Amino acid sequence: MSSNIVAMDAAPTAIDGERMTAPAPAAKPRRRRPGGFTPYALLVPSLVILIAIVGWPLFQLIIMSFQKFGRAQVFGAPPEFVWFDNYTKILTDPTFWQVVARSLAFAAVCVVLTMVLGTLIALMMMRLGKFFRLLLTVGLLLAWAMPALTATIVWGWIFDTDYGVINNVLVNLFGLTDFTQHSWLINPLSFFLVAAVVVIWGAVPFVAFTVYAGLTQVPDEVLEAAQLDGTSYVQRFRFIIVPYLRSIFVVVIILQVIWDLRVFTQIFALQGIGGIKEQTNVLGTYIYSVSIAGGEYGTGGAIAVIVVILLMAISIYYVRQTIKEEDL
Amino acid sequence: MSAITATARPTAAGAAIDTTARRTGAGKKRATTVVLSILAVIVFLFSVFPVYWMINTSFQPNNQVRARVLHFWPDNFTLRNYGTVLFDQNRAQFGPAFMNSILVTILTVAIALVFAFLAALAVTRFRFKSRKAFIIAILIVQMIPGEAMIVSIFRVLDGWSLLNSIGGLTIVYVATVLPFTIWTLRGFVNGVPAELEEAGMIDGLSRTGAFWKITFPLLAPGLVATGVFGFIQAWNEFLLALVVNARPEAMTLPVWLRTFQTLTGTTNWAAIMAGSTLMAIPVIVFFLLVQGRMTSGLVSGAVKG
Amino acid sequence: MRKLAFVAIGAAAALALAGCASGGNAASTSGADKANIRVWFVGTDTPKDAREYLEKTFAKENPGSKIVIEEQSWTGLVDKLTTSLSGSDSPDVVEVGNTQAAAFTSAGAFMDLTSHKKELGGDDLLPGFVEAGSYDGKFYAPPLYSGARLVFYKKDALAAAGLSVPKTLDDYVSNGEALATANPGKSGIWWPGQDWYNALPFIWENGGEIAVQKGGKWVSELGSADSVKGLKEVQEVMTKASAAPKDGQETNPQVGFCDGTTLQLSAPSWVKWSILAAADADTPGCPDQEANLGVYALPGKNGGAAKVFAGGSNIGISAKTKHPELSLSALKIIESKGFQTIYGKNGLVPSLKSLAPTLGTDDVAKAIAAAAANAKLTPASPKWADVEASGVLTDLFVKIAQGGDVESLAKDADKKIDDTLNG
Repeated sequence: MSSNIVAMDAAPTAIDGERMTAPAPAAKPRRRRPGGFTPYALLVPSLVILIAIVGWPLFQLIIMSFQKFGRAQVFGAPPEFVWFDNYTKILTDPTFWQVVARSLAFAAVCVVLTMVLGTLIALMMMRLGKFFRLLLTVGLLLAWAMPALTATIVWGWIFDTDYGVINNVLVNLFGLTDFTQHSWLINPLSFFLVAAVVVIWGAVPFVAFTVYAGLTQVPDEVLEAAQLDGTSYVQRFRFIIVPYLRSIFVVVIILQVIWDLRVFTQIFALQGIGGIKEQTNVLGTYIYSVSIAGGEYGTGGAIAVIVVILLMAISIYYVRQTIKEEDL
Repeated sequence: MSAITATARPTAAGAAIDTTARRTGAGKKRATTVVLSILAVIVFLFSVFPVYWMINTSFQPNNQVRARVLHFWPDNFTLRNYGTVLFDQNRAQFGPAFMNSILVTILTVAIALVFAFLAALAVTRFRFKSRKAFIIAILIVQMIPGEAMIVSIFRVLDGWSLLNSIGGLTIVYVATVLPFTIWTLRGFVNGVPAELEEAGMIDGLSRTGAFWKITFPLLAPGLVATGVFGFIQAWNEFLLALVVNARPEAMTLPVWLRTFQTLTGTTNWAAIMAGSTLMAIPVIVFFLLVQGRMTSGLVSGAVKG
Repeated sequence: MRKLAFVAIGAAAALALAGCASGGNAASTSGADKANIRVWFVGTDTPKDAREYLEKTFAKENPGSKIVIEEQSWTGLVDKLTTSLSGSDSPDVVEVGNTQAAAFTSAGAFMDLTSHKKELGGDDLLPGFVEAGSYDGKFYAPPLYSGARLVFYKKDALAAAGLSVPKTLDDYVSNGEALATANPGKSGIWWPGQDWYNALPFIWENGGEIAVQKGGKWVSELGSADSVKGLKEVQEVMTKASAAPKDGQETNPQVGFCDGTTLQLSAPSWVKWSILAAADADTPGCPDQEANLGVYALPGKNGGAAKVFAGGSNIGISAKTKHPELSLSALKIIESKGFQTIYGKNGLVPSLKSLAPTLGTDDVAKAIAAAAANAKLTPASPKWADVEASGVLTDLFVKIAQGGDVESLAKDADKKIDDTLNG
């Protein structure tokens, strides 16, 4: 009974402290029981929903990608099988590859900047006084909580050609009259600058908070010992903090990659405000414009399938790592 | 046991600063602190400015919003925009849309957490056929661009007569957040050693009892952390809600907000900002409530993943 | 854990039950002759009076049944119509933009109304719109209303520059440039880059076309010599006479007019009401400018009214409606003189030609009548809505506004439009 009480005590303490360090993942192999029917039963609710709402539509999507499937087919006209026509059309369309390249470049820039800024802010929070840390936390929290759609509308308003605060300040406060009625969205590079500001602004808080929480768990003893050895701050970051937070960085980077490659809301909303769609489409908005707005559901399906294959190719390393880890 | 309890160090950050201070000169330290504090203020301003600008605009009369002169604070303070947004009978109503959004969001988070948790238990605690396949499938599903599947999803819901209902939209949202939730919770459940439960069982608890009394409390931060993502997703989603819940009475807040932007007519920017503010408030409240748990949860999940 | 497994299966079962239980909520099926007829109006263009008229008249003519008006927004309308009209919970009567109508008539989304055409107005209906609402010789969606495009101008600005209302399209262009030169930083003709509707008269007046049907295929003709001539004039206005954002939308034209930076602009007739909206309205205008607000129909190359784009809507009955009789009854009320007169009084062109006088006799009414008489529509291809949705045209004109090479831009756009129209 006594150890039971200890266990009961242990749990709340860990939560109250808000900080838990994990046992090193690879230290001991996990033991899994053969469960008979139990594991399958536990999976049933998730499987039912996933098969119905993701699996079945995905199956239909793949079928559609081999058909000529337009709006008339939605209303019941029998679709005609065209097999790989949609695929060859997409794969030979330079527009598609431009969109892919653009998406990859945009995601890369956003992920790198978000990670760097988030980590720097987290490191900064470690060394700030109580008041400034609280101030920063509140600011980041507000930015994080802003819904993406709302945030984009507000940023679009801030960058507005006629009435935006940015142009106004640049012209009236800094005397840069070039920015009178400067359109921030018309040039694709400038469009993606604004888009990156919106995306990074919304994503940095998540990274900063997560890395900060991770930093608080790096044992002081290790850092102190390193400091006694005369290492610089950069060295300590490189050789102690980074390895210690490796798994956090991996998870956060993967999430950022998935989110930034699939970015839709921010780009879609910005395109509504200004800019040239053709030069600013990313994968999400491109699929939307082909499949939903353009009524070419078959082609849209083919693009979606190609995108999934591309993303899988990109993340193959991570997937393989996962499989290896699962072998334990 | 000690692995979990002994390393709880609320003062770790403070300690680090103190040790730094002892070893470097006091003057240098002060200079660094000043520089960092200034940087913190800059980051703070940058983070908060759009939020402030939204609120600022929402309290100004509309003719002042679209003017060449900027108003950095609402000097002609008015609540009119909130009146328009909340009570104008000629517009889509805020109240029902808000209720729909809240219901869908809460249900989505609750159902997704329960289902994902059960699934996470299955893949972490048991050995079974096609376990690996399931995990990989969960990862791949997250890469599918959802925009392409809208028509198919619409048809599935239509087949079940779940269009224009809270339930239908909830199921769709649960499906969209489940893969991520299972994926992340898997890490958390993995992090709670099965030995803990077994120890409890030796002490006379049933397996279920041991689970509820020992494992479950340790998972709370993880559940909060993953719940947040479901919350954001369900609260903000626009495209599916637009198509699946086409009846005005089934509208959610993101769709409602769009009704203020018309293609041909005049856009009431001040009202859009008031509506945006109203839409952001529940998220901010929710974040403030769970913030502490969320970040610690994210970390423990990540480390254990 | 085993218990949890049972819980899991129980949860799945409960979910399935919930699905079945809520299956009964399609409540509008209550007998053949008594029902709620769901009508979708888009945007706020249909006035409140008209909605009430429809509700009351319908309730009187069909005791026990009711009209339920569900207002939709233009954003995402095509997506929403595609799914909703093809589903089991389809609305009964739906408004659709006239340039979008072909996408749905060709897909079989609407009920065939050929045999009822006469009762709905027959030859009195606006001919261009009837064409937009017909497909393959069958009549699906009668016109709902049309909005003519007019030019609004500041009388004092025109007078100060020593100009008068232009008689030809060339005068219009040179007037706009003269105004812009005389008033640096202001728009002689306010023309944001995304506004491609206003460019169509320039193409048509120069003898060009957007796209024509040749041997069963659509051929985009923006790159033809005539069209390019028109597009070059568009570029001249956009770059020399307009101070509007080169990638802006045509929304909120009243703002520039009211703060004095817009001296002329071409816009749908209802913009008059945006400009004259009370200063304390939700979206305020500048009623003090009423005496200074002039209006004329865009002049053509050789005088008279130019061929302008006729915006507006068609309205049809969903092929999936469960109450075709009642829906038809509602549609008949919508096409009746009583209902359509309300549009006329609110500055929109009624769907019946004979009701043109309801627009009134002031300058605006005269200009509307002149413009409507010469209005033209976009190509009647089922795929035209997709061309619009793809953004090819807005992109083209944004690039033209930036001063790009008109001919090569137009040829590029032709290729994309051909692909879409024949895809």
